[in-house]
Amino acid sequence: MNIQTLFGRIMAVAVLLFVAASCNTTDNNDPEMDLIPVNSVTVDGYTISLESPKELEIGANYLYWKIKQGDNTITPQSFTISPIMDMTTMSHSTPFDQPETDLVDDSYLSNLAVFIMPSGDMGSWTINFEFTTQNDAVISGEMPVNVKSSWKIMNTQDDTGKKYFITWYEPQRPMSGNNDLTFLIHTRESMMNFPAVSDAELVVFPYMDMGGGTGHSTPFTPPVATGNGFYEGDINYSMSGLWTTTVELVVANDTLPEVVFEYSVIAK
Amino acid sequence: MKHFILLVSLLLFGAETTLAQQISIKVADRTTKEPIVQAHIKDGENSVITVTDMNGYFSIELSKHSHITITAVGYASKNIHLQPDTEVIFLNPEIFRDQTELLVVANDEVDQNVHAYHNRKASQGMDEFLDNIDGVSTTKRGAFGWEPAVRGQSDQRMNLVIDGMQVFKACVDKMDPITSYVESNNLSKLQIDKSGSGVAQNGTGISTVNLVTQKADQSTTSFDLNTSYRMPDQYRTFSFIGNTADRSGRNAVRFSGSYKKADDFKAGNDQTIENTQYEKLNLSINYRHTFPAQHSIEASYITDKAYDIGYPALLMDATKALADIGQIKFNFAPSERGFSLNTAQIYANSIRHSMDDYGRDVANRTVMRGMYMPMYGTTTTYGAKLNGAATLFDHRFDWFIDSFTSDAFGDMLMESLDPNIQDMLIYNLDEVKTNNVSFGLRHRVDLFDNVLLKVEESIRYKNLRTDSESHASFFEGLYGEAPGTRSKFLLSGSGSLLWMIDNNWSLSGSLVYSERMGNHMELFGHYIYNYTDGYFYDGNPWLKTERSVNSDINATWETARHSFSFTLFHKQYFNYIDGILANDAGNNDFRFKQYANVGDAVITGGEFRSINDLGMMITLENRISYLYAQNQTLDEPLPLIPPLKGNTTLHFHRGKNMLMADLEWAAEQNRIAETSSIEDQTDAYGILNLTYERRWMDGNLTSILSLNNILDHYYHTHTSIGNIPEAGRNLMISLSYQF
Repeated sequence: MNIQTLFGRIMAVAVLLFVAASCNTTDNNDPEMDLIPVNSVTVDGYTISLESPKELEIGANYLYWKIKQGDNTITPQSFTISPIMDMTTMSHSTPFDQPETDLVDDSYLSNLAVFIMPSGDMGSWTINFEFTTQNDAVISGEMPVNVKSSWKIMNTQDDTGKKYFITWYEPQRPMSGNNDLTFLIHTRESMMNFPAVSDAELVVFPYMDMGGGTGHSTPFTPPVATGNGFYEGDINYSMSGLWTTTVELVVANDTLPEVVFEYSVIAK
Repeated sequence: MKHFILLVSLLLFGAETTLAQQISIKVADRTTKEPIVQAHIKDGENSVITVTDMNGYFSIELSKHSHITITAVGYASKNIHLQPDTEVIFLNPEIFRDQTELLVVANDEVDQNVHAYHNRKASQGMDEFLDNIDGVSTTKRGAFGWEPAVRGQSDQRMNLVIDGMQVFKACVDKMDPITSYVESNNLSKLQIDKSGSGVAQNGTGISTVNLVTQKADQSTTSFDLNTSYRMPDQYRTFSFIGNTADRSGRNAVRFSGSYKKADDFKAGNDQTIENTQYEKLNLSINYRHTFPAQHSIEASYITDKAYDIGYPALLMDATKALADIGQIKFNFAPSERGFSLNTAQIYANSIRHSMDDYGRDVANRTVMRGMYMPMYGTTTTYGAKLNGAATLFDHRFDWFIDSFTSDAFGDMLMESLDPNIQDMLIYNLDEVKTNNVSFGLRHRVDLFDNVLLKVEESIRYKNLRTDSESHASFFEGLYGEAPGTRSKFLLSGSGSLLWMIDNNWSLSGSLVYSERMGNHMELFGHYIYNYTDGYFYDGNPWLKTERSVNSDINATWETARHSFSFTLFHKQYFNYIDGILANDAGNNDFRFKQYANVGDAVITGGEFRSINDLGMMITLENRISYLYAQNQTLDEPLPLIPPLKGNTTLHFHRGKNMLMADLEWAAEQNRIAETSSIEDQTDAYGILNLTYERRWMDGNLTSILSLNNILDHYYHTHTSIGNIPEAGRNLMISLSYQF
């Protein structure tokens, strides 16, 4: 081995050691959780914080709750929420699950909430919460949240006026190539009750308008019901750009008026 | 420059001892060790110093001729730097010339013989030259970058290499065949292996065209200037070639450059074919150092820049086509040891290709209407080759190792004329990697005194993958499985037999088995538009190996003045790779296909060539070729197969004058692919060309006047995509000065 080769190998080892030493592997025990704070309130010495992977928007949102007393995170016996949209003259809720201990990070309680309308002049969202501590104290409060508008939820209705909410669950960031294509379907039983619909059929058709009267679709697998209101398939975007996906909901052999999602697909 | 080279060589390698002695050297057959009689010993390329005697010996004065070229009928020529202790020089038999054909392009008149193609026109470009070789055609998309096809097979079904180097085109629309990156003034010869029987060297068993570039000549200092002008397309070109060496001949440099520019050409009947302009610059340099032990090392670099290239057959035009191609090659001195090395070569090349349709009327076209589509593509390839010879159990054989890795990228941006439509982007190829390594052996066996057998075999490991997650996910979505890395071991082999019946007649035949894995576009291409059928193609990483069996038989009759050669071949494909209709996502504007193994296909045909010295300084050449190609699954012809075609050339040569009349012709082509393609029938045509050449000033100045398509016939070839017509009557004048 000549001196140049030896020097080269020493340098390569030094670079590797430097890179290895530079990696900080101690401060993030849960690298998959990338949450941003939404809001927090303090009630009776307990600080209830709400975090989410993204700013809250209409459509599907995962909410992560953490309860602290001082610097200590506490685990309550129970924790329930109730999102309410206050429209002055009326109020209503939205489809949501109750929080449960998060499977990835048990310092959080997490749940899925589907906001059906944005905050704004029409009204504002508040999430009422109530939890029972380990020493049986019952704490309740409310947390105002801001919900932005987005393209990810549409609604349609049948001949009787019964509303169905079609939520674009994923892909959250449509990207060229293959994507899981998942919808959530809920209906409105009452202003406070939005149960999932798992016995419908979805007819979807993705399309790209390329201008000049031309356009094309892309390969996809039609979503099918998998339970709890979820309908899962996949979609293989051939290119980035502006796409539409038309969705027809078939409930009890009744095809409801179609809705159209319009969104951008990124290159990568 | 010469002094600079001399100074560098003195500094680097020390002064050479002046050679001033007469030595006697034997020239022998490497295989039989028998002496070679009447071998020509040349100083450089042209001047014959002496010939070998009945015992294969010649004498030479080293002080005058330290570097020589040896040529002999039936053997590969050899350049060698002589040493005082040189005793024997071995030549390799070039026994299967119909399978591994040696075509001299840029030779001088004195080098012409019945075994070589004439330099038909000194100013003729690479494209025109290829198009007139029997068994070779070109797929055309305009006036530039014609894509060669050997026996109807092009692109992925043939090897197209430069000095053995793999160079992958960067344009997914095949605008830049690598022949466009080598200028004819930088070309030494074309090695065309039509049958693919040279499997040990080509590693694949498929038809191979090797563009062998000019190397530095160690015995001459020369400079050539050439300029041409053609009308009515205002084609103008200027080129130069320089060569110099130090006194010892150990250090030599050759450099060349050319610039050419053309406007739109006119087809017959004075019809201007718009968008056929181009502009191109090519520079190359080669340096060679020869060591005292007869080893030599050479370094070569080619850079080619083409701009503003119109492609009337396509939706867009190329704005830039850039190539940088470099190699370093070590040539080992001849050795008869049990294991020896002949050459070791490393190389790297980078191809970049940009095109757009900003100059087109995109609002009114039928395909991809209402949008601009700038496209960019690039390939980067690194490779290494090693070959030598070995003896095992008294059996001498040649061995070859060839490896390369290549990275391909291509994308297309779509900018709608409608401001409400977002820009769209497609990755046609994204981080697509090709890795290949092959090992081949070549054996020569003398079955009888006049019957020679050549057997070659090769094993190749090839894999392809994409390192782009999003690109890979597209194929996962299409086929329901992550593609990962697609790997295959590929085998190929050939057997060739030559029977020298007598001094004039010879019969030869070969049988070639080949396995081919799909290339990077067949496996990982995405939305690649095929102009021959109007479909967008998606790759298929799960393609099975395409197999083929090729059989050739050739009969040749040759005398000193006449040569007739007739070849028949038959190639059967299994698991033929082609496009099949995609299941969904298509409509009248956008139609999609996916690559698949579609079944069997066959290509069969023949070639005839004759060269006759008729006396009276008249030479007649005839070349005819025919192909029959059938997709046996669809029971229809394969697309882009040329019809019966040929040319007849009459040379008249007297003193400093040469007159050449040339008839190019093709029959009509009624066998067309209507299911797998959208081609139409093509009419027959015949074109008459005339060239007059005269040498002046003791041969230092040469003038050439060419009048092509004299009758101004309006026609197109069957392999012209979009039926773009050929040039009509045109006149070209060339001047070449050598000093």
